Amino acid sequence: MSIPPADNRYESLTIDDEGFLRLLWPVGAQITGPSAQEAFDEVNRICAGARRPMLVDMATTKSVAREARAVFGRPSAASRIALLGKSPVDRVIANFTLGVSQVPCPTRFFTDRAKAMAFLREGPHDRSV
Amino acid sequence: MTEAFDDKRLDELVDLIVKLASGNLTARLAPSEARDSVDAVITGINLLAEELDLMYKTLEHRVAERTADLDQARRDMERLALNDALTGLANRSLLADRIGQAIVRSERGERPPCVLLLDLDEFKTINDGLGHSAGDGVLVEVARRLSSVVRNTDTVARLGGDEFAILMPGTSEEDALRIAHRALAELQKPFSVGDRAVWAGASIGVCFGQRGQTADLLLRDADTAMYAAKARGRGNVQVFRAEMHYAAQERLQVGSELGFAIAQGQLRLHYQPIVALATGKIMAVEALVRWMHPERGLLLPADFIPVAEDSGHIVELGHWVLHTAIRQLSDWADTMPDPFQVHINLAPVEVRWPGLTEFVSAALEQHAVGPDRLAVEVSETGLMIGDIAGLETLRTLRQLGVGIEIDDFGTGYSSISYLRRLPIDTVKIDQSLISEFASDSEQITFVGAVLRLIEALGLRTVAEGIETATQMEQLLALGCLYGQGTFFGEPVPAAEMTRLLQARPIPASSS
Repeated sequence: MSIPPADNRYESLTIDDEGFLRLLWPVGAQITGPSAQEAFDEVNRICAGARRPMLVDMATTKSVAREARAVFGRPSAASRIALLGKSPVDRVIANFTLGVSQVPCPTRFFTDRAKAMAFLREGPHDRSV
Repeated sequence: MTEAFDDKRLDELVDLIVKLASGNLTARLAPSEARDSVDAVITGINLLAEELDLMYKTLEHRVAERTADLDQARRDMERLALNDALTGLANRSLLADRIGQAIVRSERGERPPCVLLLDLDEFKTINDGLGHSAGDGVLVEVARRLSSVVRNTDTVARLGGDEFAILMPGTSEEDALRIAHRALAELQKPFSVGDRAVWAGASIGVCFGQRGQTADLLLRDADTAMYAAKARGRGNVQVFRAEMHYAAQERLQVGSELGFAIAQGQLRLHYQPIVALATGKIMAVEALVRWMHPERGLLLPADFIPVAEDSGHIVELGHWVLHTAIRQLSDWADTMPDPFQVHINLAPVEVRWPGLTEFVSAALEQHAVGPDRLAVEVSETGLMIGDIAGLETLRTLRQLGVGIEIDDFGTGYSSISYLRRLPIDTVKIDQSLISEFASDSEQITFVGAVLRLIEALGLRTVAEGIETATQMEQLLALGCLYGQGTFFGEPVPAAEMTRLLQARPIPASSS
């Protein structure tokens, strides 16, 4: 797989205190197929076989390519996904992602971080990891 | 609201929609940093355009794929519709189409086309005797050989069965005949079937087209010329002449009348003596069928036997001949010398008829005739090693006590060793071998050697076509014991043969 340009790559991927994955994209990121795949490969790697809820902070994302949306549609270590944005643009992008792909796990768009976290907590996940 | 309508992004959005509406699905508009509702609409339209563009491209790709599939299917259908599946040659439809094109070009000044029609002489014997896969192999090889003798502009076609055609557009008569003779020479070479060699041979009809002629007429006339080639003894090339039509019409007429003729008793058997050369004593007679046609008079076998073979009347005719000859043997019971035989000619298709031995046995029993009084003659080219059904019939006839003779030996391509493998007791050497005695002394030496070889195999030899006392004496000197020909007597009706048998010996032998 080709390495995406630096400004299109995810900014950070961490596991928080609750054991949730947190994926953050930089301001103005143009998420391409390779950059989305790189992020999800890392998700699968750090989960090491376990499944975890994931918060994707995509506020200020400039665009999400169709190939990137297809990556979101593939099964991964994420057991639930909350897409967190803040603008009407984020909402449109997020809903295209949800609409184009048959998402493999419960996935929703939020503009409120607390509601997003609540959604993630609704589902089962392996806290022992 | 007014402020919103003053937003220049809305004008840009209108421009984007116009571009998209005009079919430019790659047009996009970058949202502003505001990321407000207008930017959301811009983003949404960008994404919808992207989806639409992808769907169009996917659809176009599928249409291109389906179109390619349909084109391939159409080409396959055309190939199936216009080419012969076995040989890959053009079929009758494609040939007719190309003849039509050549005729159109001839009306614009090009030379009219020439059509060759070829029919294999011995294909039925190969196919029936050695099986269909052997026959198919020969047809494929025929296709290859014909394709090797034509020019790039010519079309070789298989019309069906063992019938082939060559179209030569804009050709000279000289070129056409040269190719016809090359094709004939190629087809006279042996064909390999498994580990054996077989000969198919061919008769070729040639028709030079004329301006205004249709493809159907050209093919019909080439077919007529091909039948004329068959009638002239096969293995030759004949150019169409108008009078050949009468012969073709007569052949059709003969075919339709033959069944009726058998039932109405219009057939007769004539008998030609076969004598011991040393004594002139009649040892046997060959039964030869004649047709007393109510309108056309006496017809000889050459006038109707080929038609009987083509029309399927040959088995019925053969049964009539066998039955009549055996009944005649019964009538001659008190007249005929001892030993004495009646020889009957069997067509290849009769030899392969599985009920032949039972039929012969029943007829002999019905007329109280001993089997040793009967002999059957099978032509050299009509029987092949490997023809299991045919050889089995001959074996059972021989076991019954009937004599078996190979006819016309020397006209085909058989070797002497071939004779060893056949259940026969007599070999009749063809008249062509002795017709050159007077002009070719080497031929006498050659025939002498053939006679010695046949004798070495423990077989008897009958020489046919003896026309002069000199020929008879030469054959006698070479050790040939039996002979047949006009020198000893023409075929005659039964009553006359009865008188000859009573007055034997008949030939004016000089010895």
